[in-house]
Amino acid sequence: MTDSNAIEVDSLTKLYGKARGVESITLSVPEGSLFGFLGPNGAGKTTTLRLLLGFLRPTSGSARVLGLDAWHDSPRVKEDVGYVPGDLRLYPWLTAREALRISGAVRRRDLLARGLELCEAFGLDPTIPVRSMSRGTRQKVGLVLAMAPGPRLLVLDEPTSALDPLVQEHLRAELRRAAAEGRTVFFSSHTLGEVESLCDRVAILREGRLVAVDTLEALRRATGHEVVVRFADPGRPASLAPPEGLRIESVEGASVRATFHGKLPVLLEWLRHERIEDLSISRPDLETVFRRYYGAGRQAAGGAA
Amino acid sequence: MNRGLLWKTALELRATTLLFGIALFLVEALLAFVVPQVTDQFSTQIFQLRFVQTIVRGMLGTELGPDAGPETFLTICWVHPVVLSLAWAHAMVCSTRFPAGEVERGTIDVLLSLPVSRGQALVAETLVWMGSTAGVIALGISGNLLGGLAAPPEHRIRLGAMAIVGLNLFAVNLTVGGLGWLVSAASQRRGKAITNLLIAVLGSFLLNYLAQFWSPAKSIVFLSVLNYYSPLLVLRRGAWPWSDLAVLAGVGTVLWTAALGVLARRDLSTT
Repeated sequence: MTDSNAIEVDSLTKLYGKARGVESITLSVPEGSLFGFLGPNGAGKTTTLRLLLGFLRPTSGSARVLGLDAWHDSPRVKEDVGYVPGDLRLYPWLTAREALRISGAVRRRDLLARGLELCEAFGLDPTIPVRSMSRGTRQKVGLVLAMAPGPRLLVLDEPTSALDPLVQEHLRAELRRAAAEGRTVFFSSHTLGEVESLCDRVAILREGRLVAVDTLEALRRATGHEVVVRFADPGRPASLAPPEGLRIESVEGASVRATFHGKLPVLLEWLRHERIEDLSISRPDLETVFRRYYGAGRQAAGGAA
Repeated sequence: MNRGLLWKTALELRATTLLFGIALFLVEALLAFVVPQVTDQFSTQIFQLRFVQTIVRGMLGTELGPDAGPETFLTICWVHPVVLSLAWAHAMVCSTRFPAGEVERGTIDVLLSLPVSRGQALVAETLVWMGSTAGVIALGISGNLLGGLAAPPEHRIRLGAMAIVGLNLFAVNLTVGGLGWLVSAASQRRGKAITNLLIAVLGSFLLNYLAQFWSPAKSIVFLSVLNYYSPLLVLRRGAWPWSDLAVLAGVGTVLWTAALGVLARRDLSTT
């Protein structure tokens, strides 16, 4: 464990009987980072988060959060962690004000002032009981409760799923501010645009296994350039002899969509000898990166079977 | 002990406490009013009939002896099936709230995201439940005192003796609650936990009942929680049932400690 990592996970595995939860996850989340945890439903994101909070006991491996063992030191870990569950359910009689009082009493701190500030920022009436709230409003209560103590680490499991776009934007601003203050945000989501706009590092989880952990830029680099070429001759794609590093993904009439791994001058030199009508070379967005990791993994799994 | 957890649990249990307390108050008031009138209608001759003795013995769960007096009938106020059902239902409802109830309603994630250990949560639940149980029994005693005002003094239960009976009932509920915490600690569903607990409690009741007139049941009646609940002896002799209280408190503590052990090791999250 280095001092600069808020989360350090080593070969973490959780099996539910014969069913898989997560397997051999190893990852580090630097303090002060906005870290995106990506994966489709059922990939194991929530299981990982619950392991980090000590709700679940690892089958093997270890998870350290803020320098403490996530399972054995769970109560101490949570002194500095704010958590919003994905499927947030609250006590029906609870109001945001009452929840802040109780949470403050548990933590032996007054959270009311900061909590009410957050309520106002999120447009939340602190006097309404949960039983009268919509899902989005309940989500706001969860966020207020998690953020009011000003924890060193925020663990958010798909926190924007029920929020309207304005509140989402406000939340993103709050999370950026938290990161700027040196707090860490561990943000699970399957909404790629959201992670792309917010996070500086991401991990991609597929079927319980981690398939990539890096900065967005590095992942994009590793994924290569997206190349779309429209040839002047519609028959040309059929007889192409692409240079090394260019992998053709699809052909539609005279247009070819491909991925290029290598030095761009090599590609440009090859294109110089072709008659082309249109050309686009770009870094892939996160969705493309994600699809590539996820699709490649599925193909590999299919091939293995 | 965590003040915030105590507060949260107390807020949640106040309605339950009030509901069961008022119910026990009314039932006790009614019994304390009705039982002395029934006693007067019972002639000594009828009471000498063997089958009548058997029925009353089965109900009171103990030998009557030759000197059955008014206190024998007054004991019914504290062993009546409705009274025991209310007391046990309260124990079952409260002791299965955590963790089974919290898991089932999906609030366990929020509760455990607070900086508290599972043990602290269990201690808070247990302390508030004990306070709630004491409150419910105290309301029952109040009801009995109120209902008894209409009866002549020799047909009333003295407050001191009733307090001891109340303590004995409290100890019985500690054991039922201890089992409830253990079953709850091992369950994902509150309904399942309550069902298992109900089977155990009903079995215990039937065993104690059968043991009064079926000798094979007598040899294992020590397994019944009601074997350690003896209001007749308390009301008749005014003595403290120390050994019964010790057994009930001991078993309750062992069961509660086992619940704590199970709780500390298992996965706990919304399913």
